[in-house]
Amino acid sequence: MSESYDIDINTGVDDEDAMMVDEDTRPASVKRKGRGFRSESKDESRDGVRSGDKYDQFESTTDEDAAAGRAQRSVEGWIVLVVGLHEESTEDEITDKFADYGEIKNLHLNLDRRTGFVKGYALVEYETYKEAKNAIDAVNGTKLLGSTLHCDFAFIRAPISIASGADRESRDRGANRNRVGSRRRGRSSSPSRRY
Amino acid sequence: MVNEDEFYVRYYTGHMGRYGHEFLEFEFRADGRCRYANNSNYRNDSLIRKEMYVSPLMMKELKRVIQESEIMKEDDQRWPKKNVVGRQELEIRLGNEHISFETAKIGSLVDVQESDDPEGLRVFYYLVQDLKCLVFSLIGLHFKIKPI
Repeated sequence: MSESYDIDINTGVDDEDAMMVDEDTRPASVKRKGRGFRSESKDESRDGVRSGDKYDQFESTTDEDAAAGRAQRSVEGWIVLVVGLHEESTEDEITDKFADYGEIKNLHLNLDRRTGFVKGYALVEYETYKEAKNAIDAVNGTKLLGSTLHCDFAFIRAPISIASGADRESRDRGANRNRVGSRRRGRSSSPSRRY
Repeated sequence: MVNEDEFYVRYYTGHMGRYGHEFLEFEFRADGRCRYANNSNYRNDSLIRKEMYVSPLMMKELKRVIQESEIMKEDDQRWPKKNVVGRQELEIRLGNEHISFETAKIGSLVDVQESDDPEGLRVFYYLVQDLKCLVFSLIGLHFKIKPI
């Protein structure tokens, strides 16, 4: 039995179930593969991430926010992402590198489940924006075990622009927009961002 | 529109059972929006829904993890079919390739070995674990108070 099938979008076959791909941005031909495109469990999928209901966001209220640009604070501090880690990097080496810029509140150095080596990224938490920013600026582009590191904040603020195109879930977008909007009102420092 | 910029990831695992529809699902959109939903009615637990935006560097790293797994080369044709125990779905849009794989829940590597496509299912099995690991770190750091 042949379960896989490729569809030229232009034929319009089974198009209704094209998931999460905006009509306007869909290229002429997308190669599709998998049984999920034919799954009949539509009701169940409505409970999850594609549902129209409200999603909790962490809403920061700290004096640092105004200075933070597009970076988003997390519940206990600022999370720095570092990528490009050599697979044999250790927690100690990363701690050594990042401790110069402030006390590390939390460090996640996740491993590749297959090999057991470092996956290549780490998440470092600082209490203040300044510490995190200094760490990012200082570490970005440096090397560890011969591997070049790249650094940035892990989280950004929700975009403000309602016109952010690639979205068809108008219902929940509406709900979320209001939420974000009310949080934003009265603040003018952040430029609109789109990624 | 540039094909290569298309990017979307969604993973679902769940089942219908004594405690209703119990599932865990997360997705990443190209603009960095990450949603997480986790539902169990066990002991009156309620639905958890979280949303956060991750930076372009985080999205780039996610893309790297997916590309290096080579999951897009696989096919779910010969993977175990969803069953009464539940199902998993992995949907990834990467450029002009779009996969939506569906299979049964995998208990351990034994299930992988005994399947008709152990090589392919192994790729899925480890990628899912790596993705979950990343998402749990993100959720944990962004929302949770560290237990003392």
